[in-house]
Amino acid sequence: MGRIGALPGVPPLLAGVALLVAWEFAARLIGISGLPPATDALAQLPAILSDPESLLDIAASLRRMAIGFALALVVATPVGLMMGRSRTVAAFFNPLLMVIYPVPKAALMPIIMLWLGVGDASKTLVIFLGVSLPVIYHSYQGSRAVEEKVLWSAAAMGMDAPARLFHIVLPAALPEILIGCRTGLVLALITMVTSEMIARQTGVGNILFNALDMAQYDTVYAMIVIIGILGFLLDFVFERLRLRLVGWAEPAADIIVGTT
Amino acid sequence: MIDIEAVSKTFETRQGRRHLALTGISLSVADGEFVSILGPSGCGKSTLLYIVGGFVAPSEGVAKVKGKPVTGPGPDRGPVFQEFALFPWKTVLGNVMYGLVQRGVSKVEAQERARELISLVHLTGYESFYPKELSGGMKQRVALARTLAYRPSILLMDEPFGALDAHTRTRLQNDLLDIWERDRKTVLFVTHSVEEAVFLSDRVAVMTRSPGRIKDIVAIDLPRPRLRADLLLDRRYQDYVVGIERLMETPAEEGA
Repeated sequence: MGRIGALPGVPPLLAGVALLVAWEFAARLIGISGLPPATDALAQLPAILSDPESLLDIAASLRRMAIGFALALVVATPVGLMMGRSRTVAAFFNPLLMVIYPVPKAALMPIIMLWLGVGDASKTLVIFLGVSLPVIYHSYQGSRAVEEKVLWSAAAMGMDAPARLFHIVLPAALPEILIGCRTGLVLALITMVTSEMIARQTGVGNILFNALDMAQYDTVYAMIVIIGILGFLLDFVFERLRLRLVGWAEPAADIIVGTT
Repeated sequence: MIDIEAVSKTFETRQGRRHLALTGISLSVADGEFVSILGPSGCGKSTLLYIVGGFVAPSEGVAKVKGKPVTGPGPDRGPVFQEFALFPWKTVLGNVMYGLVQRGVSKVEAQERARELISLVHLTGYESFYPKELSGGMKQRVALARTLAYRPSILLMDEPFGALDAHTRTRLQNDLLDIWERDRKTVLFVTHSVEEAVFLSDRVAVMTRSPGRIKDIVAIDLPRPRLRADLLLDRRYQDYVVGIERLMETPAEEGA
Protein backbone atom coordinates (compact mmCIF):
# COMPACT_ATOMS: atom_id res chain seq x y z
CA MET A 1 0.00 0.00 0.00
CA GLY A 2 2.70 2.42 1.05
CA ARG A 3 4.66 1.89 -2.13
CA ILE A 4 1.66 1.99 -4.45
CA GLY A 5 0.27 5.04 -2.64
CA ALA A 6 3.51 6.90 -3.34
CA LEU A 7 3.27 6.43 -7.11
CA PRO A 8 2.47 9.65 -8.98
CA GLY A 9 -1.21 9.89 -9.87
CA VAL A 10 -2.30 7.24 -7.39
CA PRO A 11 -3.32 9.51 -4.45
CA PRO A 12 -5.57 11.76 -6.58
CA LEU A 13 -7.09 8.68 -8.22
CA LEU A 14 -7.84 7.20 -4.79
CA ALA A 15 -9.39 10.49 -3.68
CA GLY A 16 -11.60 10.52 -6.81
CA VAL A 17 -12.71 6.93 -6.24
CA ALA A 18 -13.40 7.64 -2.55
CA LEU A 19 -15.59 10.60 -3.48
CA LEU A 20 -17.58 8.48 -5.96
CA VAL A 21 -18.04 5.70 -3.38
CA ALA A 22 -19.22 8.19 -0.74
CA TRP A 23 -21.60 9.73 -3.27
CA GLU A 24 -22.98 6.32 -4.27
CA PHE A 25 -23.60 5.30 -0.65
CA ALA A 26 -25.11 8.65 0.30
CA ALA A 27 -27.54 8.51 -2.60
CA ARG A 28 -28.53 4.89 -2.04
CA LEU A 29 -28.73 4.92 1.77
CA ILE A 30 -30.15 8.35 2.49
CA GLY A 31 -32.15 8.65 -0.70
CA ILE A 32 -32.22 12.43 -1.12
CA SER A 33 -34.53 13.36 -3.97
CA GLY A 34 -32.54 15.06 -6.71
CA LEU A 35 -29.32 13.24 -5.82
CA PRO A 36 -28.95 10.29 -8.19
CA PRO A 37 -26.42 7.57 -7.36
CA ALA A 38 -22.98 8.17 -8.88
CA THR A 39 -23.34 5.15 -11.15
CA ASP A 40 -26.55 6.54 -12.68
CA ALA A 41 -24.92 9.91 -13.35
CA LEU A 42 -21.77 8.36 -14.80
CA ALA A 43 -23.92 6.13 -17.00
CA GLN A 44 -25.12 9.28 -18.77
CA LEU A 45 -21.59 10.27 -19.81
CA PRO A 46 -21.36 8.08 -22.94
CA ALA A 47 -24.72 9.37 -24.17
CA ILE A 48 -23.72 13.02 -23.63
CA LEU A 49 -20.25 12.63 -25.09
CA SER A 50 -21.51 10.82 -28.21
CA ASP A 51 -24.30 13.29 -28.92
CA PRO A 52 -23.06 15.74 -31.60
CA GLU A 53 -25.29 18.49 -30.25
CA SER A 54 -23.81 18.23 -26.76
CA LEU A 55 -20.31 18.21 -28.18
CA LEU A 56 -21.09 21.36 -30.18
CA ASP A 57 -22.38 22.95 -26.97
CA ILE A 58 -19.20 22.05 -25.12
CA ALA A 59 -17.06 23.29 -28.01
CA ALA A 60 -18.98 26.59 -28.09
CA SER A 61 -18.36 27.04 -24.35
CA LEU A 62 -14.66 26.33 -24.67
CA ARG A 63 -14.33 28.67 -27.64
CA ARG A 64 -15.85 31.59 -25.68
CA MET A 65 -13.69 30.72 -22.72
CA ALA A 66 -10.53 30.66 -24.84
CA ILE A 67 -11.34 34.01 -26.47
CA GLY A 68 -12.25 35.65 -23.14
CA PHE A 69 -9.12 34.26 -21.49
CA ALA A 70 -6.81 35.31 -24.33
CA LEU A 71 -8.27 38.82 -24.52
CA ALA A 72 -7.87 39.18 -20.76
CA LEU A 73 -4.18 38.20 -20.95
CA VAL A 74 -3.49 40.66 -23.78
CA VAL A 75 -5.16 43.56 -21.95
CA ALA A 76 -4.52 42.77 -18.29
CA THR A 77 -0.82 41.87 -18.42
CA PRO A 78 0.42 45.22 -19.84
CA VAL A 79 -1.85 47.14 -17.44
CA GLY A 80 -0.50 45.20 -14.45
CA LEU A 81 3.11 45.55 -15.59
CA MET A 82 2.79 49.31 -16.08
CA MET A 83 1.09 49.69 -12.69
CA GLY A 84 4.06 47.94 -11.12
CA ARG A 85 6.57 50.31 -12.68
CA SER A 86 4.75 53.63 -12.36
CA ARG A 87 3.17 55.03 -9.22
CA THR A 88 0.96 57.30 -11.30
CA VAL A 89 -0.45 54.42 -13.32
CA ALA A 90 -0.96 52.39 -10.12
CA ALA A 91 -2.71 55.31 -8.42
CA PHE A 92 -4.99 55.62 -11.45
CA PHE A 93 -6.04 51.97 -11.70
CA ASN A 94 -5.88 50.79 -8.09
CA PRO A 95 -9.12 52.33 -6.75
CA LEU A 96 -10.93 51.26 -9.91
CA LEU A 97 -9.81 47.66 -9.43
CA MET A 98 -10.74 47.66 -5.75
CA VAL A 99 -14.28 48.70 -6.73
CA ILE A 100 -14.60 46.06 -9.46
CA TYR A 101 -12.86 43.19 -7.65
CA PRO A 102 -15.61 42.22 -5.15
CA VAL A 103 -18.45 42.51 -7.69
CA PRO A 104 -19.42 38.99 -8.86
CA LYS A 105 -18.85 39.21 -12.59
CA ALA A 106 -21.72 36.86 -13.39
CA ALA A 107 -24.06 39.24 -11.52
CA LEU A 108 -23.27 41.82 -14.20
CA MET A 109 -24.54 39.45 -16.86
CA PRO A 110 -28.15 40.78 -16.98
CA ILE A 111 -26.85 44.35 -17.38
CA ILE A 112 -24.32 43.37 -20.03
CA MET A 113 -27.04 41.46 -21.88
CA LEU A 114 -28.99 44.71 -22.16
CA TRP A 115 -26.07 46.24 -24.07
CA LEU A 116 -24.72 43.30 -26.02
CA GLY A 117 -27.61 40.86 -26.28
CA VAL A 118 -27.73 37.23 -25.27
CA GLY A 119 -25.09 36.04 -27.75
CA ASP A 120 -21.39 35.31 -27.55
CA ALA A 121 -20.32 38.92 -26.96
CA SER A 122 -21.96 39.18 -23.51
CA LYS A 123 -20.65 35.84 -22.30
CA THR A 124 -17.14 36.47 -23.61
CA LEU A 125 -17.11 39.88 -21.92
CA VAL A 126 -18.08 38.34 -18.57
CA ILE A 127 -15.31 35.74 -18.91
CA PHE A 128 -12.89 38.52 -19.86
CA LEU A 129 -13.80 40.49 -16.72
CA GLY A 130 -13.47 37.42 -14.51
CA VAL A 131 -10.00 36.56 -15.79
CA SER A 132 -8.66 40.13 -15.99
CA LEU A 133 -8.60 40.96 -12.30
CA PRO A 134 -6.35 38.17 -10.99
CA VAL A 135 -4.07 38.60 -14.00
CA ILE A 136 -3.79 42.37 -13.46
CA TYR A 137 -3.21 41.89 -9.75
CA HIS A 138 -0.47 39.28 -10.12
CA SER A 139 1.21 41.12 -13.03
CA TYR A 140 1.24 44.21 -10.83
CA GLN A 141 2.81 42.35 -7.92
CA GLY A 142 5.33 40.62 -10.19
CA SER A 143 6.28 43.85 -11.91
CA ARG A 144 6.68 45.70 -8.62
CA ALA A 145 9.01 43.02 -7.30
CA VAL A 146 11.48 43.25 -10.20
CA GLU A 147 14.85 44.17 -8.72
CA GLU A 148 15.87 47.71 -9.55
CA LYS A 149 19.48 46.65 -10.15
CA VAL A 150 18.34 44.20 -12.84
CA LEU A 151 16.66 47.10 -14.64
CA TRP A 152 19.75 49.27 -14.14
CA SER A 153 21.94 46.54 -15.62
CA ALA A 154 19.77 46.59 -18.75
CA ALA A 155 19.74 50.41 -18.80
CA ALA A 156 23.55 50.43 -18.73
CA MET A 157 23.50 48.27 -21.87
CA GLY A 158 21.59 51.09 -23.56
CA MET A 159 18.04 49.74 -23.25
CA ASP A 160 15.36 52.43 -22.94
CA ALA A 161 12.38 52.26 -20.56
CA PRO A 162 9.70 50.95 -22.99
CA ALA A 163 12.06 48.19 -24.15
CA ARG A 164 12.87 47.32 -20.53
CA LEU A 165 9.16 46.82 -19.78
CA PHE A 166 8.93 44.22 -22.53
CA HIS A 167 12.39 42.61 -22.38
CA ILE A 168 13.13 42.74 -18.65
CA VAL A 169 10.00 43.37 -16.56
CA LEU A 170 7.83 40.90 -18.51
CA PRO A 171 10.15 37.88 -18.27
CA ALA A 172 11.19 38.73 -14.70
CA ALA A 173 7.53 38.94 -13.62
CA LEU A 174 6.44 35.90 -15.67
CA PRO A 175 6.39 33.42 -12.74
CA GLU A 176 3.99 35.70 -10.85
CA ILE A 177 1.94 36.49 -13.98
CA LEU A 178 1.41 32.79 -14.57
CA ILE A 179 0.15 32.32 -11.01
CA GLY A 180 -2.48 34.94 -11.86
CA CYS A 181 -3.25 33.10 -15.09
CA ARG A 182 -3.83 29.85 -13.21
CA THR A 183 -6.39 31.55 -10.97
CA GLY A 184 -7.78 33.22 -14.08
CA LEU A 185 -8.22 29.88 -15.79
CA VAL A 186 -10.40 28.57 -12.97
CA LEU A 187 -12.39 31.80 -12.93
CA ALA A 188 -12.82 31.55 -16.70
CA LEU A 189 -14.44 28.15 -16.28
CA ILE A 190 -16.72 29.42 -13.49
CA THR A 191 -17.82 32.55 -15.35
CA MET A 192 -18.25 30.47 -18.50
CA VAL A 193 -20.83 28.23 -16.81
CA THR A 194 -22.63 30.98 -14.88
CA SER A 195 -22.90 33.20 -17.95
CA GLU A 196 -24.66 30.34 -19.71
CA MET A 197 -26.96 29.88 -16.75
CA ILE A 198 -28.28 33.37 -17.32
CA ALA A 199 -28.18 33.54 -21.12
CA ARG A 200 -29.03 30.07 -22.29
CA GLN A 201 -28.50 29.41 -25.96
CA THR A 202 -25.62 27.04 -26.30
CA GLY A 203 -22.93 25.70 -24.06
CA VAL A 204 -22.20 23.45 -21.13
CA GLY A 205 -24.37 25.58 -18.85
CA ASN A 206 -27.22 25.35 -21.36
CA ILE A 207 -27.29 21.54 -21.15
CA LEU A 208 -26.89 21.59 -17.36
CA PHE A 209 -29.62 24.09 -16.52
CA ASN A 210 -32.10 22.79 -19.11
CA ALA A 211 -31.71 19.31 -17.60
CA LEU A 212 -32.26 20.83 -14.15
CA ASP A 213 -35.48 22.49 -15.31
CA MET A 214 -36.69 19.13 -16.61
CA ALA A 215 -35.62 17.33 -13.42
CA GLN A 216 -33.17 15.12 -15.33
CA TYR A 217 -30.83 14.88 -12.38
CA ASP A 218 -28.67 12.14 -13.89
CA THR A 219 -27.74 14.51 -16.70
CA VAL A 220 -27.26 17.45 -14.30
CA TYR A 221 -24.73 15.51 -12.27
CA ALA A 222 -23.07 14.07 -15.36
CA MET A 223 -22.54 17.65 -16.57
CA ILE A 224 -21.08 18.65 -13.21
CA VAL A 225 -18.63 15.75 -13.54
CA ILE A 226 -17.76 16.87 -17.09
CA ILE A 227 -17.13 20.46 -15.91
CA GLY A 228 -14.96 19.12 -13.09
CA ILE A 229 -12.94 16.99 -15.48
CA LEU A 230 -12.58 19.93 -17.88
CA GLY A 231 -11.22 22.04 -15.02
CA PHE A 232 -8.79 19.31 -14.04
CA LEU A 233 -7.52 18.81 -17.60
CA LEU A 234 -7.13 22.54 -18.27
CA ASP A 235 -5.18 23.00 -15.06
CA PHE A 236 -3.04 19.94 -15.79
CA VAL A 237 -2.09 21.21 -19.25
CA PHE A 238 -1.54 24.72 -17.91
CA GLU A 239 0.80 23.50 -15.17
CA ARG A 240 2.88 21.58 -17.72
CA LEU A 241 3.15 24.71 -19.82
CA ARG A 242 3.94 26.87 -16.80
CA LEU A 243 6.78 24.62 -15.66
CA ARG A 244 8.27 24.72 -19.15
CA LEU A 245 8.07 28.50 -19.31
CA VAL A 246 9.40 29.31 -15.85
CA GLY A 247 11.51 26.28 -14.97
CA TRP A 248 14.37 28.75 -14.48
CA ALA A 249 12.55 30.27 -11.50
CA GLU A 250 11.65 27.20 -9.48
CA PRO A 251 13.45 26.99 -6.16
CA ALA A 252 16.64 24.98 -6.51
CA ALA A 253 18.12 24.66 -3.04
CA ASP A 254 19.85 21.34 -3.69
CA ILE A 255 21.27 21.68 -7.17
CA ILE A 256 23.84 24.42 -6.76
CA VAL A 257 26.88 23.16 -8.62
CA GLY A 258 29.84 24.82 -6.93
CA THR A 259 30.96 26.63 -3.86
CA THR A 260 32.74 29.62 -5.36
CA MET B 1 38.11 60.30 -17.11
CA ILE B 2 35.65 60.81 -14.21
CA ASP B 3 35.20 64.20 -12.58
CA ILE B 4 32.84 64.47 -9.65
CA GLU B 5 32.34 68.16 -8.87
CA ALA B 6 30.73 69.36 -5.63
CA VAL B 7 28.07 66.66 -5.68
CA SER B 8 25.39 66.54 -2.99
CA LYS B 9 22.38 64.29 -2.72
CA THR B 10 19.27 64.82 -0.61
CA PHE B 11 16.62 62.13 -0.38
CA GLU B 12 12.99 62.83 0.39
CA THR B 13 11.78 60.29 2.95
CA ARG B 14 8.22 58.96 2.89
CA GLN B 15 7.27 61.14 5.82
CA GLY B 16 8.34 64.13 3.77
CA ARG B 17 11.54 64.67 5.74
CA ARG B 18 14.76 65.45 3.89
CA HIS B 19 17.82 63.30 4.41
CA LEU B 20 21.21 64.61 3.34
CA ALA B 21 23.07 61.52 2.10
CA LEU B 22 26.08 63.11 0.40
CA THR B 23 27.52 66.57 0.60
CA GLY B 24 30.25 68.46 -1.21
CA ILE B 25 31.87 65.47 -2.89
CA SER B 26 34.66 66.23 -5.38
CA LEU B 27 36.81 63.46 -6.79
CA SER B 28 38.65 62.92 -10.05
CA VAL B 29 39.64 59.54 -11.42
CA ALA B 30 42.27 59.34 -14.15
CA ASP B 31 42.09 57.07 -17.19
CA GLY B 32 43.12 53.54 -16.18
CA GLU B 33 43.11 54.32 -12.48
CA PHE B 34 41.65 51.97 -9.85
CA VAL B 35 40.00 54.08 -7.14
CA SER B 36 38.10 52.71 -4.15
CA ILE B 37 35.47 54.56 -2.17
CA LEU B 38 35.73 53.30 1.37
CA GLY B 39 33.30 54.03 4.15
CA PRO B 40 30.96 52.66 6.81
CA SER B 41 27.54 51.44 5.73
CA GLY B 42 25.04 54.24 5.22
CA CYS B 43 27.65 56.82 4.26
CA GLY B 44 26.24 57.23 0.76
CA LYS B 45 29.19 55.65 -1.07
CA SER B 46 26.92 53.50 -3.24
CA THR B 47 24.77 56.54 -4.02
CA LEU B 48 27.89 58.30 -5.27
CA LEU B 49 28.57 55.37 -7.59
CA TYR B 50 24.96 55.40 -8.84
CA ILE B 51 25.31 59.10 -9.63
CA VAL B 52 28.36 58.40 -11.80
CA GLY B 53 26.42 55.51 -13.37
CA GLY B 54 23.54 57.86 -14.20
CA PHE B 55 21.05 55.73 -12.24
CA VAL B 56 20.49 58.47 -9.65
CA ALA B 57 20.58 62.23 -10.30
CA PRO B 58 22.60 64.45 -7.95
CA SER B 59 20.74 67.19 -6.05
CA GLU B 60 23.65 69.57 -6.50
CA GLY B 61 26.88 69.51 -8.44
CA VAL B 62 27.72 67.44 -11.48
CA ALA B 63 29.42 64.17 -12.39
CA LYS B 64 31.33 64.27 -15.67
CA VAL B 65 32.69 61.42 -17.72
CA LYS B 66 35.26 62.34 -20.39
CA GLY B 67 34.29 65.97 -19.80
CA LYS B 68 30.57 65.47 -20.47
CA PRO B 69 27.97 65.70 -17.68
CA VAL B 70 26.28 62.37 -16.92
CA THR B 71 22.57 62.46 -17.85
CA GLY B 72 21.72 58.77 -17.65
CA PRO B 73 23.12 55.25 -17.82
CA GLY B 74 25.24 54.28 -20.81
CA PRO B 75 27.38 51.41 -22.06
CA ASP B 76 30.60 53.39 -21.46
CA ARG B 77 30.04 52.74 -17.72
CA GLY B 78 29.49 49.10 -16.79
CA PRO B 79 28.02 48.38 -13.34
CA VAL B 80 28.62 45.29 -11.19
CA PHE B 81 26.27 45.13 -8.20
CA GLN B 82 26.50 43.36 -4.84
CA GLU B 83 23.13 41.76 -5.66
CA PHE B 84 24.55 40.29 -8.93
CA ALA B 85 21.35 41.42 -10.75
CA LEU B 86 21.59 38.68 -13.35
CA PHE B 87 18.70 37.95 -15.73
CA PRO B 88 17.33 34.78 -14.07
CA TRP B 89 15.49 33.61 -17.21
CA LYS B 90 18.72 33.56 -19.22
CA THR B 91 21.49 30.98 -19.05
CA VAL B 92 25.07 31.96 -18.23
CA LEU B 93 25.77 32.30 -21.97
CA GLY B 94 22.53 34.23 -22.49
CA ASN B 95 23.40 36.66 -19.71
CA VAL B 96 26.92 37.34 -20.98
CA MET B 97 25.69 37.77 -24.58
CA TYR B 98 22.81 40.04 -23.61
CA GLY B 99 24.57 43.39 -23.73
CA LEU B 100 26.33 42.55 -26.98
CA VAL B 101 23.10 41.62 -28.75
CA GLN B 102 21.52 44.76 -27.28
CA ARG B 103 24.42 46.77 -28.78
CA GLY B 104 23.65 45.31 -32.20
CA VAL B 105 26.38 42.65 -32.40
CA SER B 106 25.36 39.57 -34.42
CA LYS B 107 24.34 36.46 -32.46
CA VAL B 108 27.28 34.40 -33.75
CA GLU B 109 29.82 37.06 -32.90
CA ALA B 110 28.22 37.71 -29.51
CA GLN B 111 28.37 34.01 -28.65
CA GLU B 112 32.02 33.83 -29.56
CA ARG B 113 32.91 36.83 -27.42
CA ALA B 114 30.72 35.60 -24.56
CA ARG B 115 32.54 32.25 -24.54
CA GLU B 116 35.90 34.06 -24.32
CA LEU B 117 34.65 36.04 -21.31
CA ILE B 118 33.17 32.99 -19.64
CA SER B 119 36.59 31.40 -19.92
CA LEU B 120 38.22 34.58 -18.59
CA VAL B 121 36.13 34.35 -15.39
CA HIS B 122 36.80 30.60 -15.13
CA LEU B 123 33.26 29.39 -15.83
CA THR B 124 33.84 27.28 -18.94
CA GLY B 125 31.46 24.33 -18.83
CA TYR B 126 28.67 26.29 -17.13
CA GLU B 127 27.39 28.06 -20.26
CA SER B 128 23.97 26.39 -20.18
CA PHE B 129 23.35 26.78 -16.43
CA TYR B 130 20.69 29.12 -15.09
CA PRO B 131 21.60 31.65 -12.35
CA LYS B 132 19.53 29.75 -9.75
CA GLU B 133 21.87 26.79 -10.19
CA LEU B 134 25.00 28.82 -9.36
CA SER B 135 26.60 29.81 -6.06
CA GLY B 136 27.05 33.47 -5.14
CA GLY B 137 30.68 33.59 -6.27
CA MET B 138 29.80 32.07 -9.63
CA LYS B 139 26.91 34.49 -10.08
CA GLN B 140 29.26 37.42 -9.51
CA ARG B 141 31.69 35.97 -12.07
CA VAL B 142 28.83 35.86 -14.58
CA ALA B 143 27.86 39.44 -13.72
CA LEU B 144 31.45 40.60 -14.23
CA ALA B 145 31.67 38.78 -17.58
CA ARG B 146 28.30 40.21 -18.66
CA THR B 147 29.52 43.75 -17.98
CA LEU B 148 33.00 43.28 -19.49
CA ALA B 149 31.36 41.82 -22.63
CA TYR B 150 30.13 45.16 -23.98
CA ARG B 151 33.52 46.77 -23.33
CA PRO B 152 32.71 49.69 -21.03
CA SER B 153 35.68 52.00 -20.57
CA ILE B 154 34.74 52.41 -16.89
CA LEU B 155 33.79 49.71 -14.39
CA LEU B 156 31.51 50.78 -11.54
CA MET B 157 31.68 48.15 -8.83
CA ASP B 158 29.20 48.41 -5.95
CA GLU B 159 30.50 46.23 -3.09
CA PRO B 160 30.69 43.38 -5.62
CA PHE B 161 32.15 40.87 -3.16
CA GLY B 162 30.15 42.04 -0.13
CA ALA B 163 27.69 39.13 -0.21
CA LEU B 164 30.36 36.42 -0.49
CA ASP B 165 32.15 34.33 2.12
CA ALA B 166 35.76 35.22 2.99
CA HIS B 167 37.37 32.47 0.91
CA THR B 168 35.33 33.19 -2.21
CA ARG B 169 35.88 36.89 -1.73
CA THR B 170 39.68 36.44 -1.73
CA ARG B 171 39.61 34.34 -4.87
CA LEU B 172 37.45 36.86 -6.69
CA GLN B 173 39.69 39.75 -5.60
CA ASN B 174 42.71 37.93 -7.05
CA ASP B 175 40.86 37.15 -10.29
CA LEU B 176 39.61 40.72 -10.60
CA LEU B 177 43.17 42.06 -10.31
CA ASP B 178 44.35 39.51 -12.92
CA ILE B 179 41.65 40.62 -15.34
CA TRP B 180 42.22 44.29 -14.62
CA GLU B 181 45.99 44.01 -15.25
CA ARG B 182 45.27 42.97 -18.86
CA ASP B 183 43.66 46.19 -20.08
CA ARG B 184 43.60 48.49 -17.03
CA LYS B 185 40.12 49.90 -17.31
CA THR B 186 39.16 52.83 -15.13
CA VAL B 187 37.55 51.37 -12.00
CA LEU B 188 35.47 53.00 -9.31
CA PHE B 189 35.10 50.41 -6.54
CA VAL B 190 32.83 50.80 -3.51
CA THR B 191 33.69 48.76 -0.41
CA HIS B 192 33.61 48.84 3.38
CA SER B 193 36.65 46.57 3.70
CA VAL B 194 39.93 48.39 4.32
CA GLU B 195 42.06 45.39 3.25
CA GLU B 196 40.11 45.01 0.03
CA ALA B 197 40.51 48.70 -0.81
CA VAL B 198 44.28 48.70 -0.12
CA PHE B 199 44.87 45.42 -1.95
CA LEU B 200 43.10 46.51 -5.14
CA SER B 201 43.44 50.26 -5.46
CA ASP B 202 45.75 52.99 -6.70
CA ARG B 203 43.94 55.45 -4.44
CA VAL B 204 41.42 55.08 -1.63
CA ALA B 205 38.85 57.79 -0.93
CA VAL B 206 37.82 57.48 2.73
CA MET B 207 34.31 58.73 3.51
CA THR B 208 32.65 59.84 6.74
CA ARG B 209 29.33 58.63 8.02
CA SER B 210 26.12 60.46 7.19
CA PRO B 211 26.12 62.96 5.68
CA GLY B 212 28.80 61.37 3.55
CA ARG B 213 31.76 63.50 2.65
CA ILE B 214 35.31 62.63 1.64
CA LYS B 215 37.56 62.71 4.68
CA ASP B 216 40.83 61.95 2.94
CA ILE B 217 42.24 60.38 -0.20
CA VAL B 218 45.12 57.97 0.35
CA ALA B 219 47.44 57.04 -2.54
CA ILE B 220 48.45 53.36 -2.30
CA ASP B 221 52.02 53.22 -3.51
CA LEU B 222 52.48 49.45 -3.79
CA PRO B 223 54.04 47.75 -6.82
CA ARG B 224 51.93 45.88 -9.36
CA PRO B 225 51.19 43.16 -10.25
CA ARG B 226 50.24 42.58 -6.65
CA LEU B 227 50.37 39.11 -5.17
CA ARG B 228 48.32 38.55 -2.08
CA ALA B 229 50.89 36.38 -0.27
CA ASP B 230 53.68 38.94 -0.81
CA LEU B 231 51.48 41.86 0.07
CA LEU B 232 50.25 40.48 3.39
CA LEU B 233 53.89 40.26 4.54
CA ASP B 234 54.77 43.68 3.14
CA ARG B 235 55.27 46.26 5.90
CA ARG B 236 53.95 49.08 3.69
CA TYR B 237 50.69 47.22 3.03
CA GLN B 238 50.22 46.72 6.76
CA ASP B 239 50.93 50.40 7.41
CA TYR B 240 48.33 51.45 4.85
CA VAL B 241 45.70 49.18 6.39
CA VAL B 242 46.39 50.32 9.94
CA GLY B 243 46.68 53.97 8.91
CA ILE B 244 43.34 53.95 7.09
CA GLU B 245 41.62 52.09 9.91
CA ARG B 246 42.80 54.81 12.34
CA LEU B 247 41.63 57.48 9.92
CA MET B 248 38.16 55.89 9.85
CA GLU B 249 37.96 55.74 13.65
CA THR B 250 38.80 59.40 14.32
CA PRO B 251 35.68 61.57 14.25
CA ALA B 252 35.40 64.06 11.43
CA GLU B 253 36.59 67.52 12.44
CA GLU B 254 33.80 69.84 11.46
CA GLY B 255 35.03 72.95 9.69
CA ALA B 256 38.70 72.02 10.06
